Amino acid sequence: MPSASDPATTSAARRPAVTPARAARGVLLLLVVVAALSFPSLAPNPYVLSAGILVLNYALLSTSWNFVGGFTGYISLGHGALAGLGAYGTGLLVTKAGLPSFLALLVAALVVAALAVPIGYAALRVRGASFVIVSIALVLVLLLVFQSWASFTGGSRGLTVPRPFPDLLRPEHHRVFWFLFAGLLALALLVWWLIDRSRFGLGLKAIREDEDKAESLGIPTFAYKLVVFVVSAGFTAAAGGLYALWFGDLDPVFQFSILTGSYLVLMALLGGVRSLFGPLLGALVVGTALEYFKVEYGSTPLHLVATGLLLAVVVLFMPDGVLPAVAAGIDRFRPAQQSIREVTAAELREQRAGGAAAETELAGARPGGAPATKEGA
Amino acid sequence: MSERSEQGLRTEGLTKAFGGVVALDGASVAFRQGQVNALIGPNGSGKTTFFNCVTGMIRADSGRTVYHGRNITRAAPHAIAHAGIGRTFQLCRVFPRMSALDNVLAAVRPVGLLGRLRGARNRAEVDRARGWLTRLGIEHLVDVEARNMSWGQQKLLELAGVLMGDPETVLLDEPAGGVNPALLDRIGGLVRELNAEGRTFVIVEHNMDLVMSISDHIVVFDRGRPIAEGPPSVIRSDERVLGAYLGV
Repeated sequence: MPSASDPATTSAARRPAVTPARAARGVLLLLVVVAALSFPSLAPNPYVLSAGILVLNYALLSTSWNFVGGFTGYISLGHGALAGLGAYGTGLLVTKAGLPSFLALLVAALVVAALAVPIGYAALRVRGASFVIVSIALVLVLLLVFQSWASFTGGSRGLTVPRPFPDLLRPEHHRVFWFLFAGLLALALLVWWLIDRSRFGLGLKAIREDEDKAESLGIPTFAYKLVVFVVSAGFTAAAGGLYALWFGDLDPVFQFSILTGSYLVLMALLGGVRSLFGPLLGALVVGTALEYFKVEYGSTPLHLVATGLLLAVVVLFMPDGVLPAVAAGIDRFRPAQQSIREVTAAELREQRAGGAAAETELAGARPGGAPATKEGA
Repeated sequence: MSERSEQGLRTEGLTKAFGGVVALDGASVAFRQGQVNALIGPNGSGKTTFFNCVTGMIRADSGRTVYHGRNITRAAPHAIAHAGIGRTFQLCRVFPRMSALDNVLAAVRPVGLLGRLRGARNRAEVDRARGWLTRLGIEHLVDVEARNMSWGQQKLLELAGVLMGDPETVLLDEPAGGVNPALLDRIGGLVRELNAEGRTFVIVEHNMDLVMSISDHIVVFDRGRPIAEGPPSVIRSDERVLGAYLGV
């Protein structure tokens, strides 16, 4: 519990370069990389590998969603549609325009990013629940378009996307795509991390906390939101395109589904939207659970029930997600960073002198009642 | 229309109605550049609406705001902040789940793509932010999240953030609201200090002791428009002011 008399005044500048927390994070990162590289060799059969790719795909989509959801606090349920656009864009560019597979993927991602400018321009004018509804509308509109425009998109019969590596056997095909998905995920994580520590990222987080206040401090909030929405859309569309090339068969009902968008939100919230690896962790848990329920209970809607329960538990008991909850849990068992005895009498006198004014002020003040953030909705 | 090359902040016929309630009724005010201006008046006289119109937070129905000869009536709030006008809010607004340091650093105004992608916690800016936190006496809270601070500390933090943006003109909406007498003295002293360094202040305040002791120029609002203005000594004995406040 921080208070004015706490000696916890160590600053970012005075902190030693390698703290235990930082070292632990480095080791953890190394483990994740090793696990990602060795999974294709460890997977007992192609089914497990393909299920792994599905989970990785969710992790990529959820991390892409988190550019908007995590930084600005705008909860989009429409990201499934952006992934669907990327998938269909890639598929159509390959089948209709005859572009090479991965060029098609790149072009589709750029086109969707460009489309995200007018979409974001319209959607980001409204906040909170209204934004959520607008993002749902995006999914529904695109579902209708892609189902009805059958002559171009294949409609409900689906669109078959030729494989980029026709010579590869199925297990090899999965192996290659595992690394492609992992590579794209690594890129998304790197960009998220770069934004997180940047001045741009701080501006975005200020928008999440209090948009009007951020604007009054001089942050061009609308431009910031739009830019990060476009980045998010680009990554989401690239993930969709990669899925199209891997899976090879697209159906509007699955590509433009509100469920997909909801899963992404659930994963990010479960893992923790403020953490770099939150969505990845959430995707590991939820994605694996979804696959399990589908295998065990097949066509019953039980996986939806389980998903709903999970969402309720997260929102009720871990509103910040698993990662922050775990971190807080560990903190509770750790001894306080500095015990009273580590402060000498001289240092104490110095602190008193410095903070005297603040302490007198604190004495008569109420304990910090935090204003609710807009994410409470 | 040719703009006179005049200094400072002024408004011409600013009007704003919310439904049938006229909050601002053709308010024309010229604030004194380089001085501590106070804006007083009974509750509901339009002071906060006036601030919100001037800073672009809400759009006036008619009238205009001119700053250093430039029409800023329709400018976005962030553009008005960039023009050199900073403000605090009546119900103190800080970023609750960000540390004090990040709260202040958020006011940095980077330029260009590379400037925006630069690390937020770079040495020069962190030092400057710590400088403001130190000056406001909350340096020891640098890593504490704003939501864990007391009301008074949050008010000081908000002011530190605004000052980080280096505004030439600072609008304070009830700086004394809900703070104890010791802090009140400190805020008053700080305003005079910052004013001596060249910053203009416009302060909405109900605490008459504070207003009379720190202002050079007082504007009195009633029913959405100024009814009197002048130095404290004149305002104190103005009959219209007494009427507006006491309802005579």
